[in-house]
Amino acid sequence: MSRTHRWSPLAVIGVLGIVFSACTNAASPTPSSSTASVAPPSAAASASAEAFTGKSYPDTAVDCKNRPKGYTGEFSQIKAVDRLTVEFDLCTADVAFLAKLAFATNGIQESAYLDAHSKDKSIVRNPNGTGPYMFKEWVSGDHITLTANPNYWGDAKPIAQTLIFKWADTAEKRLQDLQAGPASADGIDNVAPDDYDTVKADSSLQLINRDAFTILYLGFNVDDPPWNNEKVRQAIAMGIDRAAIDTKFDPAGSEVADYFTPCSVPGGCVGDKWYSYDKTAAIQGLKDAGFDFTKTYDLYFRPKVRGYFPNPPGTAQEIQAQFQGLGIKLTIHTEDNAKYLDNSAVGKYSLFLLGWGGDYPDMTDFVDYHFGQGANKAFGTKFPDITALLAQGASELDATKRLDIYKQANNLIRQHVPMVPLTHAASAAAYQADVTGALASPLGNDVFWIDKPGDRQQLIFEQNAETSGLYCSDESDGDSLRNCEQIFDPLYTYKPGATDVIPNLATKCDANTAGTVWTCTLRDGVKFHDGASLNANDVVATFAASWDTKNPNHVGNGGSFEYFPGLWGGFLNPS
Amino acid sequence: MTRYIIRRVLLTIPVLFGVLVLVFFLNRVLPGSQCRALLGERATDAQCAAYDHSHGLDQPIPVQFGTYVANVAQGDFGVSVKTSQPVTTLLIERLPVTVELSIVALLFAVIVGVTLGIISAYKRNSAIDVITMTGANVGVSIPIFVLGLLLAFVFAILLKGTPIALPPSGRLTPGLTVIPLSDAWGLQGLTGPPRVVLDFLSNMYTFNSLVTGKWNILADALRHLILPAVTLGTIPVAIIARITRSSLLDVLGLDYIRTARAKGLSERSVVRFHGVPNALLPVVTIVGIQLGSLLGGAILTETIYNLSGVGRAVTEAIMARDYSVVEGFVLVIAVGYLLVNLLVDLSYAFLDPRIRLS
Repeated sequence: MSRTHRWSPLAVIGVLGIVFSACTNAASPTPSSSTASVAPPSAAASASAEAFTGKSYPDTAVDCKNRPKGYTGEFSQIKAVDRLTVEFDLCTADVAFLAKLAFATNGIQESAYLDAHSKDKSIVRNPNGTGPYMFKEWVSGDHITLTANPNYWGDAKPIAQTLIFKWADTAEKRLQDLQAGPASADGIDNVAPDDYDTVKADSSLQLINRDAFTILYLGFNVDDPPWNNEKVRQAIAMGIDRAAIDTKFDPAGSEVADYFTPCSVPGGCVGDKWYSYDKTAAIQGLKDAGFDFTKTYDLYFRPKVRGYFPNPPGTAQEIQAQFQGLGIKLTIHTEDNAKYLDNSAVGKYSLFLLGWGGDYPDMTDFVDYHFGQGANKAFGTKFPDITALLAQGASELDATKRLDIYKQANNLIRQHVPMVPLTHAASAAAYQADVTGALASPLGNDVFWIDKPGDRQQLIFEQNAETSGLYCSDESDGDSLRNCEQIFDPLYTYKPGATDVIPNLATKCDANTAGTVWTCTLRDGVKFHDGASLNANDVVATFAASWDTKNPNHVGNGGSFEYFPGLWGGFLNPS
Repeated sequence: MTRYIIRRVLLTIPVLFGVLVLVFFLNRVLPGSQCRALLGERATDAQCAAYDHSHGLDQPIPVQFGTYVANVAQGDFGVSVKTSQPVTTLLIERLPVTVELSIVALLFAVIVGVTLGIISAYKRNSAIDVITMTGANVGVSIPIFVLGLLLAFVFAILLKGTPIALPPSGRLTPGLTVIPLSDAWGLQGLTGPPRVVLDFLSNMYTFNSLVTGKWNILADALRHLILPAVTLGTIPVAIIARITRSSLLDVLGLDYIRTARAKGLSERSVVRFHGVPNALLPVVTIVGIQLGSLLGGAILTETIYNLSGVGRAVTEAIMARDYSVVEGFVLVIAVGYLLVNLLVDLSYAFLDPRIRLS
């Protein structure tokens, strides 16, 4: 319970009355039945003409020491302490709390709108946020139009009065549209590495580099022979010329991966660097490990271009050639995207190429997903020494100690070699030369309200694919989330074009000394696009909808709210 | 004739059911799950299990099929798992794009193809004939993706800033929008099939702008249609030109043509009034086949010009394992094929009285 609450005898009786009801039965945020959940109004709230009743979710906090069956999440309860104060009670300290809070799926929804429009899923195509742009129309398969929010709370207002998102699934098509002029596109995402020079050579265009925040790796299933021999994996780690891959296939700004996590993430590049390329030592290592050079082994990849994987077939062939140089014969196999992800997740591939694009700037985003306790079986059996350290690192509040934990973890990853980190591939966006202010975020969450499209009133940005939906808590693809960033505001956000976490709808969020209670103060006077005022209950409702699978608003496009368990540990009432 | 039409319509039912069965089971045997296709790298096993359960994908396939057939029989094609839109809504949005493109492409193909075929036959073995037929050979040989990219490069980039520059993608210049006919005509309250038809027609931008008098939209929509229509129509142009030429040459060698000439008619009149009408039967067959294939086969053109038609919708749905969309769209394409074939057969009777009499 929050230390800021005052407990009256009536409140205690009220709480006792509901203590036997299972905390997981809560369906939606309800007005608190006792003053336990209703904090005294703040000065700001007092000043408001509206009476405010703070809600808590669930009504009774999750007992962290005696968790409901199957619950692995970190939230215990989320409370609207007063009109502008929200409290997140956690079961364990979360050092990356603010970085996660800033992620696009945590954009704040208006609670009444959520209740009215999530059940019939109309919210998926008719969003209502507080962001710099308001939704206008979505012509299916063609474009989405947003208009500037005249009541945007920020000090600066959106420059382009209309923002249009188009999409084309090939880099060549996007570039062609950009070259056709601003009537066709003002900006495009993900220029093909081969086209960088074309863009640079065209005086009517500009190239904007996006810093590398990705990892491409060569994965092993450590349970499958011959890769179940750590000595073999270490030898391979020495025998892969990662610099050659970076030079041949990656666009400018990319880096050879000396660690799994990019160095822009605190703790990403502590510990020993990856093995230096030494072909002779690698061959000797393989011989010492008794490697069977007579067999032919399988290498899998999917021929799908991703930010971390600019040239899948070229890279696979390069790996094959480098293995050949070590005396190892590989047969390359490709699989359809969906099948590939299915198979790799259950560990069906002994040797495979895969990668990751960072979502938020914290070690947990990279290493926990791949090597933590909750990781899938792509690399086979997990390494207990690594999982234990990662669990510590996720909740260690002391920055120095945390760095030391990740130093050990990075060294263990290097020692066990569940994969060989290859490259951190960068990417780039391109714009018409007269567009000013455009930035390419390493996280992919570009903001457009600061862009000035020459003397035009509208900015047309062409992305990779059609937006899946705009009920953003339930979306997971970068293109949808980029749209979300323009319409919704999370409590914190990332600095445009960078990974720094800065206050947004919240003016501040403070943690208690244990790091288990975060209290956020909301910005006053913020209005949703439909005119409703932002208050703390909106924050509670937003998180409750994603958190609890039994919440009536836990109904989205696909309804899987894929990011939530990744960010916050797990759903309430997991099915 | 009526009995013939009824019989043909009834025969479509088993064909459509066969299509339904085939597409449904082909969808299910595709490797890879819908969950992974939609959620990507981050999907966990637990999430996918929950996803499959909530979408009924953990049911035995025959049970899924039974449910699907029961729904289709009630006109419910399901909901797209990718966009949460009913498949019927998607059809109303996407089908008009392809229909509009196909009609313009076919008009281009028929007008140009028949004209070239007639000229070629009329000027048989002349330089014009050789040039026309060489052009037809090139046209039928050039892949759509090469022609499409080439045209877009020339007209959108090389000719940028000139009066003949054409847009390389989309249906309208960004910023322009069409008004739904229901709004334009004050029929917002209209429901049921009439509303479906009205919305369908609304999404045919050329028709919409024509009937609402939005000439700037019409001009813009037509500018956007030129390159895709030429790209899509080039192969049919070549085929129609060759068929027209050979058919007309056959007809021009028949006895009644010799009689017409003997009566002193000018060669132009002979060709125009006696040759061409009788040479059109095989051309109609080819046009019908082409229209059917255009409806379902505009995938490349739609991809090159970023048009949100049926072809792209189906390919995107296949990639996303969006079963309901694939099944619904394929079924509608099949209906389109059957309908066009029926119309072609019926048109024979009108074009050739001998068939009508038999």
